[in-house]
Amino acid sequence: MITIQKEDVDIGKLIEDAKRAGTGAIVVFDGIVRDDDIREMELEAYEEVARAEMEKIAEEATRQHHLLHVDIIHRIGKLAVGENILIIVVSAGHRPDAYAGSRYIIEEIKKHVPIWKKELRKDGDRWVPGEHPHGAGTPG
Amino acid sequence: MTIKVRFFARFRELLGTDLIIDYQVGATLAPFIRDIAKKNKDGYDALFDEHGTFREFVIIMRNGKRVERGDAALLPLADGDEIAIFPPVAGG
Repeated sequence: MITIQKEDVDIGKLIEDAKRAGTGAIVVFDGIVRDDDIREMELEAYEEVARAEMEKIAEEATRQHHLLHVDIIHRIGKLAVGENILIIVVSAGHRPDAYAGSRYIIEEIKKHVPIWKKELRKDGDRWVPGEHPHGAGTPG
Repeated sequence: MTIKVRFFARFRELLGTDLIIDYQVGATLAPFIRDIAKKNKDGYDALFDEHGTFREFVIIMRNGKRVERGDAALLPLADGDEIAIFPPVAGG
């Protein structure tokens, strides 16, 4: 499942569903709204492009790291401290591929997927600056 | 011709989004966006430098494909195009 949605997901069910013939390791990445003295975080996406980019990233991770299954769920809307922002579940035959595939996916999302976060702070709101100033898709 | 313009994040707050614009045939991307952005000085200044060139960090897409800033001045628009303009991404 590659999706952008407001709702949370049942991570336990995703793990069960990620078990395939040949699965020896599942790695779960769960990005969470951190308490940086904020009230809430608001997330916004260019949804069609973001979903397509996440699908490309999942395909490339599968190819490079021999993954058996990939889920990427990126949430949007207003999220409170402690809520899940991004859940990545990868299944592979062996742990090196599962770890490497998961790491590849999160780093590529941060470079290329058009999603933005705004911290709703007690002392005023602030857009979180991107880590990759020239990111978001490839020319052409 | 009709062009859809989508601004995101800080640019959306300044300039709105999902704008449907009727515009003269033959227009190119950067002058078109300059024209749209003129309605809000802060929005214009967020996108363009003093020479009217897209700022270095501004990301431009046409129909879901990235456009290099240097190509934007001369890139012709077509009826039905969707142009998206946004700051560096910060998901994950």
